[in-house]
Amino acid sequence: MKNSKLLILITAMVFIFLIGPFIMIFLTSFSSDAIMRFPPKGFTMSWYAKALNIQMFRTTFWVSLQTGLLATATAMLLGVPVAYANIRFNYRGKGTLELLFSSPAIVPGMVIGFALLRFFVYVSNIPIVIGLYLGHTAILFPYTVRVVSASLRNFEGDIEQAAISLGSTPLHAFFAVVLPNIRSGLVAAFILAFITSFNNVPVSLFLTGPGVATLPIQMLSYMEYYYDPTISALSSIIIVLTVIVVQSAEKLLGISKYV
Amino acid sequence: MAFIELKDIDAGYEKGKPILKNFHLSVEQGELVSLLGPSGCGKTTTLRTIAGFIMAEKGSVTIGGKDYTNVPPNKRNIGLVFQNYALFPHLSVFDNVAYGLRRRKVSKPEIAKRVADVLHLVSLKGFEDRLPAQLSGGQRQRVALARSIVIEPELLLLDEPLSNLDAKLRDEMRAELSRLQHQLGITMIYVTHDQIEAMSLSSRIIVMNEGLIEQSGPPEDIYEYPATPFVARFVGFDNRIDGTLTRLESKSVHVDVQGVEFISTRPSPNLSKQDEGKSVSLYFRPDDTQIGVEPGKNAFEVTIDFSNYQGNTTQYAMHLGSHALRAVVPGKPIADGTDRTVFSIPPDKVIAEKGVR
Amino acid sequence: MSLKPKTKALTMLLGAGCLFLLAFFLLPLLFVLYESFLGTDGNLTVSRYLAVLQDNQFQNVYLRTLKMAVIVTVIAVFTAYPTAYLMMKIKSSHKAILMSLVILPLMTSPVARTYAWIVILGRYGIVNQTLSLFGLTREPVRMLYTEGAIVVGLLQLFLPIMVLNLVSALENVPSEVEEAALSLGSSKIGTFFRVIVPLSFDGLIMGVTLVFTGCITAYVTPAILGGAKVLTLATLMRQQALVLMNWEAATVIAVVMILTTLILHTVLKRFRPRNQT
Repeated sequence: MKNSKLLILITAMVFIFLIGPFIMIFLTSFSSDAIMRFPPKGFTMSWYAKALNIQMFRTTFWVSLQTGLLATATAMLLGVPVAYANIRFNYRGKGTLELLFSSPAIVPGMVIGFALLRFFVYVSNIPIVIGLYLGHTAILFPYTVRVVSASLRNFEGDIEQAAISLGSTPLHAFFAVVLPNIRSGLVAAFILAFITSFNNVPVSLFLTGPGVATLPIQMLSYMEYYYDPTISALSSIIIVLTVIVVQSAEKLLGISKYV
Repeated sequence: MAFIELKDIDAGYEKGKPILKNFHLSVEQGELVSLLGPSGCGKTTTLRTIAGFIMAEKGSVTIGGKDYTNVPPNKRNIGLVFQNYALFPHLSVFDNVAYGLRRRKVSKPEIAKRVADVLHLVSLKGFEDRLPAQLSGGQRQRVALARSIVIEPELLLLDEPLSNLDAKLRDEMRAELSRLQHQLGITMIYVTHDQIEAMSLSSRIIVMNEGLIEQSGPPEDIYEYPATPFVARFVGFDNRIDGTLTRLESKSVHVDVQGVEFISTRPSPNLSKQDEGKSVSLYFRPDDTQIGVEPGKNAFEVTIDFSNYQGNTTQYAMHLGSHALRAVVPGKPIADGTDRTVFSIPPDKVIAEKGVR
Repeated sequence: MSLKPKTKALTMLLGAGCLFLLAFFLLPLLFVLYESFLGTDGNLTVSRYLAVLQDNQFQNVYLRTLKMAVIVTVIAVFTAYPTAYLMMKIKSSHKAILMSLVILPLMTSPVARTYAWIVILGRYGIVNQTLSLFGLTREPVRMLYTEGAIVVGLLQLFLPIMVLNLVSALENVPSEVEEAALSLGSSKIGTFFRVIVPLSFDGLIMGVTLVFTGCITAYVTPAILGGAKVLTLATLMRQQALVLMNWEAATVIAVVMILTTLILHTVLKRFRPRNQT
C-alpha cells in the first residue's frame, strides 16, 4: 500500500509538471497587467487582438503553413515508397540504406540547417526559402517512413498477392489495394509530420533571415525584445489549435500509436 | 505431357538458398492433388512457384503445354486461395469477387451475371454489399473461393484454406470444396499439413519433406503402404522395428527380428525379390497392437516403461532393445505386477519397407 | 534473370529518397566537415579545431551542456519509471486519458511550452509570489537565466518522450511474470528492480538515448531560459555564427555536436539487449 501511495504521488507531480505550464499560459493571456504577474489581475482579450494584428506574426504564420504543407507532401512522396520497399523487400545493403533514411532524425536539426545554409545558400546562391523547404523535408522524411512502415506492417502481404493473382500488376495492386487500406496511417503520418514542421525551430534557425522567418522563429525574436502577454495569447491559440487537431486525429485514426 | 509440369526446379525465398532442389512435379488435368507435409517441407514454396510469386532459379514450369517459367503472376490466370483468405478489406463482397473480372476488362452486365452465378454457387446470395469484416470465417472463405474461381482459372491453388476454421466448419467446407471440384472439374493443388484433410479431399496425395517428394499416390496407398519412414510416421505408423527380410511372396512378407518371425500379409509395392536378405523396417500403428497375449509369431516380450489410463483405452510406452514402442489398447491397464508383457501385431496390420539407409 | 524485376522495383521505390538525402542532406554535411578542416590558406588543417577546443568558454559550455543533460536524464528516468508503471496498472480508459496528456505536450510548440517557464519562474511569477507570501524571501529570487531554469525547461520538454518509451516497453512485459516473481517470494520493490526493469531495459535505453541527445542539441529551451548568460552548445553555436559571425568556430561546433550525438547513439546502443523474449 505504501508503495502505491508513493507511486501515485510521483505520477501526480509528473502530470502537474507536464500540464501546469499550459494552464499558466492561458491564465496570463487574459491578464490585463502588461507585465507578467501571478496571480493575474483583471480580464482582457486585448492580447489576443494584439497578437493577431502583428503583421510579422501573420506573415510568418503563412510561411510556416506553406513550408509545413510542402515539406510534408514531399516527405510523403519520398517516404511512402521507401517504407513500402523496406516492408516488402529484402535486398543487399538494406541495413545501410535504412540507416541513411533514419539519419536525418539522428543528426541535430541545427546542424542540418547550418549545413544547408553553408552549402547551398553561400556556395550556390540558392534562395534561403528553398533551403528552409529542403531542410524541413529532410527531417520529416524519416518520420513519414516510420509511421507509414508501422501501418504497412499491419497490412498482410497476402492481400496484395491475391490482387496480383487476379490480374493486377504490382503497381496497380499498390494503388488499388494497398493504399486504400493504409489510408489512416497515411493521414496520421501527414498530420504528425506537419505538426513537427510547424513547431520546428532548430532546422529553421539558420535558414531564416530578414524577410523570411517561420512563426516559432518570429516568436523567439519577439520574446527577445518584448515582455508582455502577447506571446501568451499567441501560444494559447497555437496550443488550442494543436489540441483540436491532435484530439480529432486521435478519435478518427488512433494517432497515438504512431507517435 | 501432363497438364502441369515442374522440371528440375530450384526455387526458394533467397537466392542461392533454394528450398526446392531439382524438384519435379506433374499433375494431370482435373486432378485434385494435395501437397502434404510439415511446415518448412517446401509445399508452400511449390505452390508459390506455380503461382509465379517465386521465380525459379533453375528449371521450367509448364501449364497446359505453355511455358510459364518467366510469366509474371498477374499474367498466369491461376486462382489462389490463402489461409487467411486475403480478402480486400475495403471492398464489398461483390467488388471482391468482381476484382479479377474488372482486371480482365469484362463488360459490366457480364460481370454482374458471373458474380451472381458464382455467389449462388458458394451459397452467398444476398451478401453482395457486405464488407469482409461483417462476415464469419466460413463466409469469408467462400468469398475467397468465389473470387478465385470466377475468373475461370486454368487451375486453382489452395494454401491451407481451412486451417483458420473451427472443426465443424472445416468439415462443411471440405464437403463444399469436393462438390465444387466435381461440378467444375477444375484442376486443384491443395496444400495442407493435415492428413485427414488431404485423405478426404484428394485424388492423389504428394507427401513432401525437406524440399523433396517422399511419396506420391492415391490416399489409400499413402495411408496403407507408406514408402518411407518419414511418410510412415506422418500417417501414424509410429512404431518401427528393424529386421531382415527372409522371404517375399505374393501375399506375404517374412521378416526376422532378433530370432522371432514376423509375417505381414500386406507386401509393399516398394519391395522386390532382390531385397531378400537385406534389412527392412516393420511399421505399425499403436492402436493396431495387442498386449498380454501368448508368445508366438508376430509377438515378443517387451518391457513396459509406463502405462497411462485414458478412459476407454490405455496407452503403454514400452521398449524392445533400443526401439521405443507405443501401444493403445482398449480397457484398463493390465495389473499383473510385472513390467514385462507380450506384445503382438496381427499380420494384416504391419507393413515391411526397405530399411533406413 | 529472376532478380531483374526486383532490382527495377527497388530502384523506382528507393531512388528518389536516396537522391534527395544524398544531395540535400549528406552532401551538405560532408561539405561542412570538409570546411571545418579548411585553413585560411586553402590547405587542410586542424587549426580551427585547436582554436575552438582550447578555448576556455567552449570547454565550460561543453561541460555544462553535458552536465545538464545528465541531470535531466537522471531525473527523467526516476520520475518517468513510476509514472509509466502506474499507467500500466490503472484502468485502460484512465490510461488513455493519461496517454493523451503525455502526447499533447509532445505535439505542442516547444516555444510555447518553454515560454511558460518565463511566466512561472519570472520575477513576479507564481514561484516567487508563493515564496514571498509565506515570508520565505524578501526580494524576488532570480530564477530565470540560470542553469536550473534550463534543466526545468528541458525536463518538461523531454519527460513525455521518456514516459512514452517506458510505457511501450512495459506493455511488452506480461503481468504474469510479475505475479510469478511475487509468488516466488520476491518483494514488490525487489520484483520491480529484478524483473520489471531488466525486461523493459530496451525501452529505458531508447528513452535515455533520445532524452540525452535531445538535451545536448536542444536550442529553444536554453535560448529562452538561459539567454546569453547561460550558454549551451546549441546557443553558443548560434551566437558564434549569427551574432559574432565567427563561421569557423560555428562549423567546428557543428561537427562536435554531430560527433557527440553519434558517439552517444553508438555507446548506448551497446547496452540494448539483443535477444529478448
